[in-house]
Amino acid sequence: MIAIEGLRKHFGHFQALDGVEFTVPKGEIFGFVGPNGAGKTTTIRILATLTPADAGRALVGGIPVGEDPAAVRALIGYMPDFFGVYDRLTSEEYLEFYAACHGVPRRRRRVVAKELLELVDLGDRAKFQVDTLSRGQKQRLCLARALVHDPSVLLLDEPASGLDPRARVEMRELVKELSRMGKTILISSHILPELEELCTWVGFIDRGRMAAVGPMSQIRDRALIGRRLRVVLSSVDPEWLQRVADQMGTVAGVVHAEVAGDHLEVAVGEQVEDHVLLADLVKAGLPVRAFAPIEGDLSQAFLSLTGGGQP
Amino acid sequence: MSRFWLRFMRGLDNPIVLREGISRMRTWRAPLAITLYLGLLGAFGYAVFAIGVIATQISHTTQSATALGAATFDSMTVFELILVLLFTPALAAGAISGEKERQTFDSLLVSNVSAFGIVWGKLVASMAYILLLVVSAIPLFAFVFIFGSIEPDQILITQALIIVTAFTIGSVALFWSALFKRSLAATVSAYGSAFALYGLSAALGYLLTYINTVRYVNASAGQPSDYGLHPLIYGNPFMAFFTLLVPQAGSFVGPIHLGRLLQLLVLDGGPVSQWGPTITSWQLSLYTQGALAVLCVFGAVMLVRGRRALPLRRIAVKAS
Repeated sequence: MIAIEGLRKHFGHFQALDGVEFTVPKGEIFGFVGPNGAGKTTTIRILATLTPADAGRALVGGIPVGEDPAAVRALIGYMPDFFGVYDRLTSEEYLEFYAACHGVPRRRRRVVAKELLELVDLGDRAKFQVDTLSRGQKQRLCLARALVHDPSVLLLDEPASGLDPRARVEMRELVKELSRMGKTILISSHILPELEELCTWVGFIDRGRMAAVGPMSQIRDRALIGRRLRVVLSSVDPEWLQRVADQMGTVAGVVHAEVAGDHLEVAVGEQVEDHVLLADLVKAGLPVRAFAPIEGDLSQAFLSLTGGGQP
Repeated sequence: MSRFWLRFMRGLDNPIVLREGISRMRTWRAPLAITLYLGLLGAFGYAVFAIGVIATQISHTTQSATALGAATFDSMTVFELILVLLFTPALAAGAISGEKERQTFDSLLVSNVSAFGIVWGKLVASMAYILLLVVSAIPLFAFVFIFGSIEPDQILITQALIIVTAFTIGSVALFWSALFKRSLAATVSAYGSAFALYGLSAALGYLLTYINTVRYVNASAGQPSDYGLHPLIYGNPFMAFFTLLVPQAGSFVGPIHLGRLLQLLVLDGGPVSQWGPTITSWQLSLYTQGALAVLCVFGAVMLVRGRRALPLRRIAVKAS
């Protein structure tokens, strides 16, 4: 749904994008991760038809952004990282105004506004002036604004920045709901644990270059050296657990085993098959209560793939 | 329905006009500005009328009611033009820069509204408010009408000139608003432009008229004749008002041939040209201001278009 090929952009002497390439398949939630100044907002603005690229190609729904920006604008809903609102309008009027701006027929505007206010859980704030809304409510209203013309692609630039934990959860649930509605979503954020739970695809950008792109599970696996398993035994006695860990270190395929609180964490080689190892442990008489691979952490993966830059 | 009519109808359904109207009329500033405008205009008109009456009483002369009415109307019309010149930049200069300051401009740019639609919507919204001020002042002028002596065409042309002047300075202000990120810079530039266009140009026009006169007198061996006003002052709306409101003014600033106007423009001291149609001061004022307004709207549209990634600035496909 989104394809970017060799995108370059510089501002004066600063190279903001240096050959950025990635694709976002239809219906996926793409987490766009990178430190400040890495090029996330520039990339999103190019996709939103607001900034021209110096070189490369950006396509949305197969349409080159530079060749038919008006057609691209009809496909995208854009929520900028910093945005303002028209204070003296009510929430309903605010959405009706943008619906008119996007060419929604006059008779449909109020209906669209009402539906979207319900979707973002602001139905009871329809007649409230926008300046009386909280930050989180304004963020949700802005997201509703990006949806007035029912776009198939959403470009969300740091939608959860500055929100309290409750508002973040609400925003996350909203994005999930939009994904269930079939939207393709590109979302940039600094809050990696949230992206980890939300996104199906992820792209790491650092200093204008893509460090890694792909499905979330693939990126996690790529980033972590070998695989790690979590083994929970029936006893939590630390001394006994340490003895077991020492013995497991000698098992073929096990790289390292250590006590982690009330359980063991076992690093294994790529060639080890989990079910075989489990069977061996049970045969050896260990009282195994739980045995599962440890999911990679997105922050760890980011640090590993970008050489330590802070997202 | 033809493409033109479709575009025309879409132009009428400009959402920006409605939103601006709602936002503007929901503040305390809107009624305050109308009150201030009418208060100043009314007070000024009353002052001129009262001074006329007192002057008649003191001088023991008989000034006809029609002359007093005409003097009051003339003064009020000129004062209204000054008020419009003061109010319009304040209304229009923040129209687009305000969107940038509020960080709402990007949301507008990613919508379906064209760059012209944005500029036109902003201009119409500002002009609608100015029109409201001008229309709301008509009852004040009605007070003067009871004295007679004011011709309907005088009223129509002076009001049209005020509206065109407002439209022009509104367009200039909008151009600055599209250029600058800050409303303060746009507002200062708009007031500076208004001063340059209507004050400084008149002073320069007066100076050039003087130079023209001296050259012409010298060229015609000390026989002053039809020297004519320089177009900079001839096309000034204040001069246009003067020629419209003072009937005897026509005798020395009457219609000028287009050829003569061009001669005066380039300070040509040669024989008086009779080429082309004649043009009055108010006509020249309307045409030049109209042209300037169109130019500024075009400039503002180009500036707004430049904020989007245009098809013209097509992303180059990498050679590799």
